[in-house]
Amino acid sequence: MLESKSIWVSPNDIRRFVDPTSDNRLMEEVGAGRVERLAILFERHHVMLFNFFLRLTGNRSHSEDLVQDVFFRILKYRKTYQGQSKFSVWMYQIARNAHVDHLRKRKQEMSLDDQFEEPASPEIPAVERLNSDIDISLLRIALDRLPLRKKEVLLLSRFQEMKYREIAELLGCDIGSIKSTVHRAIKDLGRIYLELQGGESP
Amino acid sequence: MNCERTKEFLADYLAGELDEKTLAEAQAHLAGCAACREELESLSAIWTKLGVLPKEQPSAALRSRFYDMLEAYKEGLEKGGTAARIYQTISSRLSRLMPRRPTYQLALALVLIIAGLGSGYLLNVRFRSNARFEVATLKQEVNDMRRTVAVSLLKQASASERLMGVSWSSRVDRPGDEIITALLETLDHDPNVNVRLAAVDALYLFYGHPEVKDGLVRSLAGQTSPLVQLALIDLLVGIRERRAAEALERLIQDEKLNPKVKKRAELGLAQLS
Repeated sequence: MLESKSIWVSPNDIRRFVDPTSDNRLMEEVGAGRVERLAILFERHHVMLFNFFLRLTGNRSHSEDLVQDVFFRILKYRKTYQGQSKFSVWMYQIARNAHVDHLRKRKQEMSLDDQFEEPASPEIPAVERLNSDIDISLLRIALDRLPLRKKEVLLLSRFQEMKYREIAELLGCDIGSIKSTVHRAIKDLGRIYLELQGGESP
Repeated sequence: MNCERTKEFLADYLAGELDEKTLAEAQAHLAGCAACREELESLSAIWTKLGVLPKEQPSAALRSRFYDMLEAYKEGLEKGGTAARIYQTISSRLSRLMPRRPTYQLALALVLIIAGLGSGYLLNVRFRSNARFEVATLKQEVNDMRRTVAVSLLKQASASERLMGVSWSSRVDRPGDEIITALLETLDHDPNVNVRLAAVDALYLFYGHPEVKDGLVRSLAGQTSPLVQLALIDLLVGIRERRAAEALERLIQDEKLNPKVKKRAELGLAQLS
């Protein structure tokens, strides 16, 4: 079946379509009614997804709720999955929608209890001696100050193992704008980080 | 490669998405351009720095919640599947009962409609009378129960329970003599002002009873608390009880009477006459 042209297909792509344990195949089976196969996809992706939400929201319990929500939506919409897009792209599409809904819900609740809630952005713990700990805290705060779009794109490319091409597909825009968003996001992040550091030094 | 073009590739450079040819071209430009080199260095410094953000582990609860949900979803799916199969067999059996010729189909439909309407009517008539009877019995039972509860609460030692008794008695639809007597008793003799005030309010609901009016008029003379006196005067004037005029006059004669009560009694007297 592999014709002369197919030598340009990467091994990864071949695995995607032929390997019975590839994400796409598993998701198609889930769509066809073997919902228990979703467990394998959960085991493969839930920690990554949790970290994605954790970096977006800065809140552990919200992030866990969001992961659960994503897998619930995957079950609910399992029949709409079409194999042409990579499973992880589809999953992050759902994850983004879940996050948007979460923000909307939080906004409504915030108006009532914002003065009683702890802030969503991570604060620097009072006693922190290790430089790396301070680095981590500063980076988190800096990330939190990026606008949502930049933050999402940066997180997806830096931490979620997504290619620019896939992020472009996920967000429904062209690859050039994704690249420039990453470029600007990193630049902004660096600037904010330096500012924070300047504010920190004695 | 010029500066502008190189900038386009910086994002690819960071993510390691450049193919060899473009990488070589970009590196050739970077070697000769300090500005681009500096930009790449500052970008990749922060890009690398992001690596210190640790990968966190979710709590164990996340996994168990997921498996619970999957299990529940699967169960629901299987049940739904069985239900669909049963539905299919039933409907295929039923379809065999359908006559082939349209005329017969129409006739069958008419017969079924008439049979349905008739039996529905019969059932309805029966059911309604039955239901009406049952509801009436139930109401009666609830009413009796409230009455018992109210009377026994009114006899309790604690003031809050007696208050509850008063509020229970106001929920009784048709109070018997028993309730009226108990409430009047409370109004005359309860040591707690709040309970007596509540009794005035409850008795207002039952003022249609002749004994209630008598009792209220009689009670006015015996009350000592200005609050209860005021409430009673309000009530008696409100229901335009003429027999209260005499009691009011007698009240006004009392020299120890609270001046506010006296004022209200005089006003009430004017309103009644």
